[in-house]
Amino acid sequence: MNIADLSANVESARELRDYCSIAGTATSRLGRVPGVSSLDLLVEAIRNAVDDAGLKASDIDGVICRGPDESYSHHQMVAERLGINASFSTTLTNGGASQILAIAIATMAIRFGLAKTIVCGFGRDTWSRTHATEEARVRNETRPASQRPREFGPEYGYFGATAAHALGATRHMHLYGTTRNDFGAIATAFREHALRNPDAQIKKPLSMEDYYAGRMIVAPFGMFDCSLRSDAAGAVIVTRSDRARDMRRPPVLIKGFGTHNNTRGWFNDDNMVVTAARQSGEAAYRMAGLGPSDVDTAQIYDCFTYMVLTQLEDYGFCKKGEGGAFVSSGALRLGGALPCNTSGGQLSEAHAEGMLQIVEGVRQMRHLYPAERQVKNAEIALISGHGGNQVCHSTLILGKA
Amino acid sequence: MSEVKQKPVPRPAPESAPYWAAARERRLSLPKCEDCEGNWFPPSRTCPHCLSARVTFADVSGRGKVYSFVTFHRVYHPGFEGDVPYVVALIELEEGPRLLSNVIGVAPEDVRCEMPVEVVFEDVGEATIPKFRPRAA
Repeated sequence: MNIADLSANVESARELRDYCSIAGTATSRLGRVPGVSSLDLLVEAIRNAVDDAGLKASDIDGVICRGPDESYSHHQMVAERLGINASFSTTLTNGGASQILAIAIATMAIRFGLAKTIVCGFGRDTWSRTHATEEARVRNETRPASQRPREFGPEYGYFGATAAHALGATRHMHLYGTTRNDFGAIATAFREHALRNPDAQIKKPLSMEDYYAGRMIVAPFGMFDCSLRSDAAGAVIVTRSDRARDMRRPPVLIKGFGTHNNTRGWFNDDNMVVTAARQSGEAAYRMAGLGPSDVDTAQIYDCFTYMVLTQLEDYGFCKKGEGGAFVSSGALRLGGALPCNTSGGQLSEAHAEGMLQIVEGVRQMRHLYPAERQVKNAEIALISGHGGNQVCHSTLILGKA
Repeated sequence: MSEVKQKPVPRPAPESAPYWAAARERRLSLPKCEDCEGNWFPPSRTCPHCLSARVTFADVSGRGKVYSFVTFHRVYHPGFEGDVPYVVALIELEEGPRLLSNVIGVAPEDVRCEMPVEVVFEDVGEATIPKFRPRAA
C-alpha cells in the first residue's frame, strides 16, 4: 500500500470518530445463574440495555452478536425472542475479539445507512455448562467435542486455553524477567475492584499470600491467574451521536476502534509476546486522534493475568518488557496511574468474553458511579478484545460526551 | 477403567497422514515446498510461503530448542492422571518450524527456554509420537 492510499484510509477512518455513541448498556444477572440458557441471558441483557437507553424493542433495527460456539444464525434467535425485525443483522465468530468488532461493524453500518440503532451483545452459560455434570467439571472444556483438536496436542496432554496462554507467559518471563509476583499484582488489583462491585461473582478478598497459595493449574499459571467460569451476558445500544443525545442516559462517544489478527498463529513469529493489540491499538488511536497518554482508564481482556501485562505493553502504556514493573507499581488500581478493569474484570467480576469490559468502559464514561468506583475525571477509556486462538484482537476507544 | 485411562492417540487429518506414517518409522518428516523449498508445520497442502501446491514431505534433523514450555499440574484427561506434573513445550526445530511436544528425561523444574533438545519416538498404542529430550549443545 502506498502513502497516498494509507492517508485516504486514515481520512475515512477519522470520519467515523464520534459519529456514533453508545446510548444504552446493561448486563444480565452475573455469575451463577442456573437454569437460564446463554440465549436467555443475552436476551435479558439486551432487554435491560434497551430500557437503559429509554427505548422500545421496536426502536432497534439492527442486531450483531457472537453466538455460543455450537449455534447457527444466533442473531436470528435473539431477534426473534425480542420481537425485532432487523434491517442489519449478523453473528460474529472472532471469539473474545467479537464484541468490539460488533460495535465497529455497527458504527460502519449506521454511517452508511444500513440501520439506525443496533444492539450488540454476547451471553454465555459457561458456569452452568461446566458444572452440569462431574465429567464436565473435570474436563472443564467449553468447546463442543466436534471442534476440539484431534492431533498435535491431545496426544501430548496439551488441552485448553490456559496452557496456550501460559506458553506466552513463560516466554515473556524468559525474555524480560517477568515474575509471578507481577501476575499476582494484576489478580489482586482486580479483586479489589470486584469487592466494590455488588454484581461481581467473587466476593472474597485476595492477598498476595492467597495468590501464591492457589493451586497450580498449568504452570506458570495458578488458579488465580485464570479467569472465571461464568453465566453472564452484556449488551450495548449503538446509534448516531445526535440521536443519542436525546435519550435517557448521557451518551458515550465511540471515538475510535481497530482490529488486527495475527493469523499466522500464536506459535509463530513473536505473536505470544507481542500481541495483535499493537496494530489494533495503533488503528484505534489513529481514528480517535489520541495516544496512550490520553487514556484515563483501560478495560483489558483478562482471560489470564499475563495477557493484561503484555497488552498494556502492546498498547504503549509502558515499553515492551516493562509490563512487570508497571503492573507491580500499583498503576492498575483505582487511584493509580491507569485504573484497569475497574469492575473486577474476567478474573473477578464475571467472564463474558470481553462484553463486560465494554459495559464498564461505558459506565466509567457516564460518571454515574459512586466515588469509590469512579475513575476521577476520566474522559477517555480504552477497551480491548482478544480471542480466536489467541491471535485475534479488537480495540475500542470511548470518550465522555 | 483401564479403557477410560488410555491416553488420546492422534486422529490425523488426511493432509497430516504422511507425518504420522514417518513417525511410525521413527523419522521426523515435515511438509516442504518443491518450488520455494520452504517448510512449515502443521501439515497442509498449500505452501504458506509461496502458495505453491507442489508439496512433499522431507525428513528434518530432529534437533531444536525449547521456545517455551508449561507444566501441567491439573489433570484434563484421565489418561494423564499418573503423569502430572508433566511438561508440554513448543519446540523450535533447527529447520525453523515450531511444534508442540513433551520434554522428557528431565525434571520439569529443570526445563528452560532455549534448552537444546532432540527428538525421541514413543509408541502409544498403534501410534508413534515424537517427543524431545535434552541434548548437549
